[in-house]
Amino acid sequence: MIVLTTILQILIFPGFLFASFIGLLLAGIDRKVLARMQHRIGPPIIQPMYDFFKLCGKETIVPAAANRHVYMLAPWASLCSLIVMCLFIPVGGLTFFSGNADLIIIIYLLTIPAVCLIIGGSSSGSPYAAVGISREMVTMIAYELPLIIVFLAIARVVGRGELVFSIKTVAEYQIANGALVSHIALIPAAIAFLLIIPAEVGTQPFDTAEAETEICEGPLVEYSGKPLALFKLNSSLKMFIMSALFTTLFIGVVYTGNVIADVVIFVAICCLVTIICMTLVHAVTARLKIEHLFKFYWTVVAGIALVSLILVWAGL
Amino acid sequence: MSVLSKIIADSASKSPWIYHINTGSCNGCDIELVAVLTPRYDAERFGFKLTGSPRHADIVVVSGPITTQSEERLKRTLEQVPEPKCVVSLGSCPQSGNVFKGSYSIEGPLEKYVHVDVTVAGCTPKPEAVIEGLYKAAGILKKKREAMKK
Repeated sequence: MIVLTTILQILIFPGFLFASFIGLLLAGIDRKVLARMQHRIGPPIIQPMYDFFKLCGKETIVPAAANRHVYMLAPWASLCSLIVMCLFIPVGGLTFFSGNADLIIIIYLLTIPAVCLIIGGSSSGSPYAAVGISREMVTMIAYELPLIIVFLAIARVVGRGELVFSIKTVAEYQIANGALVSHIALIPAAIAFLLIIPAEVGTQPFDTAEAETEICEGPLVEYSGKPLALFKLNSSLKMFIMSALFTTLFIGVVYTGNVIADVVIFVAICCLVTIICMTLVHAVTARLKIEHLFKFYWTVVAGIALVSLILVWAGL
Repeated sequence: MSVLSKIIADSASKSPWIYHINTGSCNGCDIELVAVLTPRYDAERFGFKLTGSPRHADIVVVSGPITTQSEERLKRTLEQVPEPKCVVSLGSCPQSGNVFKGSYSIEGPLEKYVHVDVTVAGCTPKPEAVIEGLYKAAGILKKKREAMKK
C-alpha cells in the first residue's frame, strides 16, 4: 500500500503529471504576459504544451560524433531529480517526503539538472555546445554561493540560534511567527533569492548559457525530438520548483481548511513570483555577458545575501 | 494511443519553429521575415518561433537565388532538419532566380534540391503574404505528421 501511494505521488500528484502541468502553464503565462508587455497578442497560454507534444512527435537525430547512451539518458536523469525535488516541496501544505536536512538535499538536487545539461551538451560533440557548457558551469558557480548563504540565514532564523535545515521547521516557524519575508533580517535574503531564480531557470538576462541568437541554445544545439522535449519540460519544471521554493521558504502556506483551495492559492503565489522575478526582468533587460553575470552574482547578490546573514547572526 | 497521436498531430500545426537560411539573398526578404516576428505582425501568436539550430526546426525558410558558394551549405542544412519538415521558398529568387537569372554564379531554382511545400512570391513579399505562407506550411506539417504515423 505504501509502495502504491509513493508511486502515485511520484507519477501524479506532486510528481510528474501535476508538476509538469503547472510548470508548462507557468511557462505559458510567462510568454503571454511578456507578449502583452511588448504590446503583442502573444501565443496561447497552453503554447508550451503544444511545443512539448510537437517535439515528442519529431524525429530524434543522434549526431555521429555523440556518445549515444549519455546523450539520450541526460534529459531523463535531469527529469528524475526534478521530480524528486517536487516531492520535498510541501505543495499547499501537504508534505510527502520530509527529513531533518531536506534543504541540503535540495541544494544537491538543484545542481543535477545543470550537470545533466553539461553532460548532455558535451556528449553531443558540437563546438556551440562546448561554449554553452563552459558558460553553464560558470553560471552554476555564480548562483550557488548566494543560494547557500540564503539557506544558511533561513536555517539560523528558524532554528532559533541553531542551524536547522528542515522545510518542516520552516513551515512550522511561519505558522507560529508569520511569513519569513516579513522578518526584517530576511528581507535582503528574499531579494537575493528572487535574483537567483532567473539564473537557476536560465531566463533573460541570465540565459547566457543558452543564448539562442548567439550560440544556438548552447548545450541543446544538437538535440531534437523527444530528448529536446524533455529538456524544454525540465526548464519549465525548474520554473515551477524555484517559484515554489521561494513560496515555501519566504511566504509559507496559507491554510484555508480546504486542501484544493490551499493548492490553488499556492500555485497562484508561484505564478505571481514567476511574473515578478522572470517576466518583468525579461521584458526590460538584454542578455548579460558571462563575466558580467559572474561579477553580478558574486558581488551584488552575494553581498545582499551576506547582509541578511550578518543581521541574522547579530540577532535581529 | 490514437488520442496521443492526434494531440501530437494537432500540436505539429500549432507550434511551427522556423529556421531561416539565406542563400545569397539581397537581405530584403530576410528583413521582411524578421518584420513578421516583430510586435506589429507578431507571428508568435500562431506559435511561430525563430530557432538558431536546424535540429530544432520544423519549417525551413529559404531566401536568395542559391549561389554556387551556398549550394553545399543549403544541402547540408536541409539534411539536418528532423522529420516532419516543410520547406518554404521566400521571395522570387529561390523560385526563378529573379534578376540574377542567367548569372554564372547562380545554381537555383530551389526545386532542384528539395520538394518545396509553399512558395511565397514577390520581390519582396509583404509581411502579410509571408505570414499566410508560413501558416499554410504549418497546416502541411500536420498532414505530414499524420502520414508519418501510417
